[in-house]
Amino acid sequence: MFFHITLERNMQLHPRHFGPHLRDKLVAKLMKDVEGTCSGRHGFVVAITGVEDIGKGLIREGTGFVTFPVKYQAVVFRPFKGEILEAVVTMVNKMGFFAEAGPVQIFVSNHLIPDDMEFQSGDMPNYTTSDGSVKIQKDSEVRLKIIGTRVDATEIFCIGTIKDDFLGVINDPGATA
Amino acid sequence: MARGRRRRDDDFIDDDEEDEGLMDDEEEDEEEYDGGKGGRKRRRSEFIDDVAVEDDEEEEDDDDDEEDDGGRRGKKPKRRSGSEFFELEAVVDSDEEEEEEEGEDDFINDAGADLPDDDGNRRLPHRPILMQEDQEDVEEMERRVKERYSKSNQIDYAEDATDVEQQALLPSVKDPKLWMVKCAACKGLRNIFSSAKVMIVPIKEMTDVLSVESKAVDLSRDTWVRMKIGIYKGDLAKVVDVDNVRQRVTVKLIPRVDLQTLANKLEGRDIGKKKTFVPPPRFFNNDEAREMHIRVDRRRDKDTGEYFEMVDGLMFKDGFLYKTVSVKSISSQNIQPTFDELEKFRKPGEDADGDVASLSTLFANRKKGHFMKGDAVIVVRGDLKNLMGWVEKVEEDTVHIRPKMTGLPKTLAFNEKELCKYFKPGDHVKVVSGVQEGVTGMVVKVEGHVLIILSDTTKEHLRVFADHVVESSEITTGVTRVGEYELHDLVLLDNMTFGVIIRVESEAFQVLKGVPDRPEVVLVKLREIKCKIERRSNAKDRSNNIVSIKDVVRVVEGPCRGKQGPVEHIHRGFLFIHDRHHLEHAGYICAKAQSCVVVGGSQGNNDRKGVDSSKSRFGTFRSSPNILQSPRGLPPRGPPADFGGGYRGGGRGHDSLVGKTIKIKSGPFKGYRGRVKEVKGPLVRIELDSQMKIVSVNRKDIADTTGVATPFRDTRNGMGSDPPMHPSRTPLHPYQTPMRDPGATPIHDGMRTPMHDRAWAPMSPARDSWEDANPATWGTSPQYQLGTPGRTYEAPTPGSGWASTPGGNYSDSATPRESSYGSAPSPYLPSTPTAQPMTPSSASYLPGTPGGQPMTPGNVGLDVMSPTIGGESEGNWYMPDILVNAIRAGGDSHIGVVKDVLMDGSCKVALGTFGNGETLTFPPSDLEVVRPKKSDKIKIMNGTLRGVTGKLIGIDGSDGIVKLDDTYEVKILDMEILAKLSTK
Repeated sequence: MFFHITLERNMQLHPRHFGPHLRDKLVAKLMKDVEGTCSGRHGFVVAITGVEDIGKGLIREGTGFVTFPVKYQAVVFRPFKGEILEAVVTMVNKMGFFAEAGPVQIFVSNHLIPDDMEFQSGDMPNYTTSDGSVKIQKDSEVRLKIIGTRVDATEIFCIGTIKDDFLGVINDPGATA
Repeated sequence: MARGRRRRDDDFIDDDEEDEGLMDDEEEDEEEYDGGKGGRKRRRSEFIDDVAVEDDEEEEDDDDDEEDDGGRRGKKPKRRSGSEFFELEAVVDSDEEEEEEEGEDDFINDAGADLPDDDGNRRLPHRPILMQEDQEDVEEMERRVKERYSKSNQIDYAEDATDVEQQALLPSVKDPKLWMVKCAACKGLRNIFSSAKVMIVPIKEMTDVLSVESKAVDLSRDTWVRMKIGIYKGDLAKVVDVDNVRQRVTVKLIPRVDLQTLANKLEGRDIGKKKTFVPPPRFFNNDEAREMHIRVDRRRDKDTGEYFEMVDGLMFKDGFLYKTVSVKSISSQNIQPTFDELEKFRKPGEDADGDVASLSTLFANRKKGHFMKGDAVIVVRGDLKNLMGWVEKVEEDTVHIRPKMTGLPKTLAFNEKELCKYFKPGDHVKVVSGVQEGVTGMVVKVEGHVLIILSDTTKEHLRVFADHVVESSEITTGVTRVGEYELHDLVLLDNMTFGVIIRVESEAFQVLKGVPDRPEVVLVKLREIKCKIERRSNAKDRSNNIVSIKDVVRVVEGPCRGKQGPVEHIHRGFLFIHDRHHLEHAGYICAKAQSCVVVGGSQGNNDRKGVDSSKSRFGTFRSSPNILQSPRGLPPRGPPADFGGGYRGGGRGHDSLVGKTIKIKSGPFKGYRGRVKEVKGPLVRIELDSQMKIVSVNRKDIADTTGVATPFRDTRNGMGSDPPMHPSRTPLHPYQTPMRDPGATPIHDGMRTPMHDRAWAPMSPARDSWEDANPATWGTSPQYQLGTPGRTYEAPTPGSGWASTPGGNYSDSATPRESSYGSAPSPYLPSTPTAQPMTPSSASYLPGTPGGQPMTPGNVGLDVMSPTIGGESEGNWYMPDILVNAIRAGGDSHIGVVKDVLMDGSCKVALGTFGNGETLTFPPSDLEVVRPKKSDKIKIMNGTLRGVTGKLIGIDGSDGIVKLDDTYEVKILDMEILAKLSTK
């Protein structure tokens, strides 16, 4: 789920940046530091949409670095248990398949794939129903439900299922190609 | 072998029958024994006689004897129990003997023959005591006994045996003593008293002696057990039938039968006594057996009605071996079958057996405190089976749970064994016991009491028992560290091979070796690892961008083409990339740096694009690319990374030296010539021409045999292992770009020229420090090393007034430099070593030193100016009155003063410093602007102030600080656009 929230961060700025463009540099550094990161509480920071406030800087003794408290608004993305997501399959193997929804990686175990879908190995490994009408392979788009999440320092990993009503392939690259 | 085994089994059975006979005997009276075997019995019964001579009835019921009450209770039961004790021992003995050789039975017979004497001996010491006491209460006792047996024993027992009464039963000092006799002494009972040590049993322990530990483990069907002896030792077996009376169990095993041997034996061929070979467990196959001409009989078991295949006395069914063994030869405690074993037991297509985690096994090994408050549990037995709930309270074996279902009492009490932990798919759990202990993962599926979890590290499925896991948010990989090495560390295996640890096993590591083309994984022991490689280094990617750790790169060639991820380690030009989509090798890929390109990361042109896009998207934060360049230009961990990569960072130096023929000029290999194979930090590996070997030599110890022919820069890089210079490279890039672009023609050429003519004033500070350096001084000059840091800190501080104190900042710097600048336009003194480090350029390019970085004034000046430079056409560069360096046809250059600029861009130049020589016309490509030095009069050649004259009052890196003649304004301008004015 996406959220637009206000976050705070203490930015440390090297003294070499002090000058007329200090604010720009601070913001550029903020974007560089923050965008793409992940925290357990807020999920992935997708983009910074604005800076609300830059507080007074405090010079650190010894290093000359200056710490600015920065308040900024950002779009964050955090997956939740039970959330339905649409994701792109990135890899298929006999244990299941991996899919990605933006920065989030989701694994769908073969236990959580409907029983009528069987793994077919080969050049393009895939899961196919016995009649061959539905196929999950790399680049397929699937709708899945997240049943578990694990938050690391740098990424969020989810386990999903497509063994439920209305879940499964929503577009098949094989069919169009 | 099998035959031998069978025979023994038969023997066992025989023994059993005898044994059974004995047991029957025991229950009857003494007159029933037969010869030898009866020996034991007789002894015992006689003994009992002694104790309770008058009490025949009691004799009949050994079990109830504790029940006596009254004053004599204490003694009597003890005595009697004493006899029981002996009997017990005897029984045990007989059992053990069964397991052993038949000879033992003989021994018993022999012993039995001698018994009467022994008994006679034994009786003596007891009798007096017994007689005394016993005879006193004979009548009372008789009465009591009668009383007792008139009632139902069992009920009485239950009612009477209160704690207090039980206490009263305990032995006291007054009671007869128990003696401990070594079992060996029992062998020939006649010697029982002459044997050395007879110890008294402490009163406290007397009860323990008599308490019969119920060894009767509740072996029930379908329990998993392990074999204790024989070729099946350690094998998992499943109990199919239990004969409690005969203490035998029938178990189901995966047979270890060597059909070939069996066939040989059946055909009467010679069987070598090769006991060493234990056939691997394998299911028995009828057809195979028939092929080997082994007779397979099919028989029906008379009890169960099931059919078995009989081969050489072995019973098979469905490929399993059914074997009847003594309870003693199996262990039933703490059996933790692994899934592998269980999987094997589950024959294909046999799902009925599917409850792999047979409950009995599951519960056998529960630790204490298995359940904790808050655990989700499910009832697995009884009426409320499948009821879910949460643990509220745990009392010993009883667990109180709060049921999930409404309409039930608030809490229900269950026996621990009726409950099982319950997990839902998606739960994050940690395995706390069993083979997979320590692993964490997410539950993917729940199959009864078995969970399928997806391991966090390996992304593989694991099957574990629900009982073995706890919910946990912790993420571990099991063991991640052995010794000083941790998972994902870069380690050196031997001098040439290195790799990343991708898996830690017990005492061994899996290492992905640093080889291109194909992933190579080796299993190494702890001691085989030489050391951890912690040095951070850089490498250059395909487009010569510097790759540092954590940069995201994409592999563009080789087997891993298309993979992308952050660089985790760099070593010797190899990158270890972690691609999270890559499942093998813990996601690690090894690739040559040259086969990769940096994606957007910290360097290169992509960077600028990234900034631009962010700028356009985020318009409010207007920032010029160049400004952003500086923070971005440094990789996240810029300074340390750059420094560490000093040697390597100069990829050019590295490359240029490799393959060169050099001469070693000092050290133990002085005088040798050889080819450079590799440059490793400060060391150079050289293949000696004269000897077939490769030696490592310090860089400083080598000299180029090619000497002068070697390009200048290369020599410098090769020679001067000068860390401070290299780091400057990174930030240097942005500056160079604008300089180079316009300078394509005149300036570029100009840069080269002075190389040969050192007498020239430096073109730009940055350049001159390189070019004027005498190669010899680079390597050795200590001043250089010293000078740099010192200068660095004295580098101009912003706002300290460049303009107001011209040269003030520099005044405190070493004099040679001042003088050299002061003496302009006289030839610059290149040989003064101290002068080199003084140049602001080297100081200002050190990214890591605070203050050393050019401060805003310098930067701003450049930023403002550079676009203009790029945009200007080069035809207008030269202007009248500026000093130039003109190269004449012969290749020698002369100073001259531009007199006029012609339409085609060529200039009329009057040779001589003061323009008083002959006047010639030169094309712009043959001209080079003379760079001004401090205090020189200058003319601005480009930008809005083109044509204006002024005085250069200071130089900051590539920027000059200029005081304009007309307005007395102080401007900061790029040195590139400043030309020295003729002082005519």
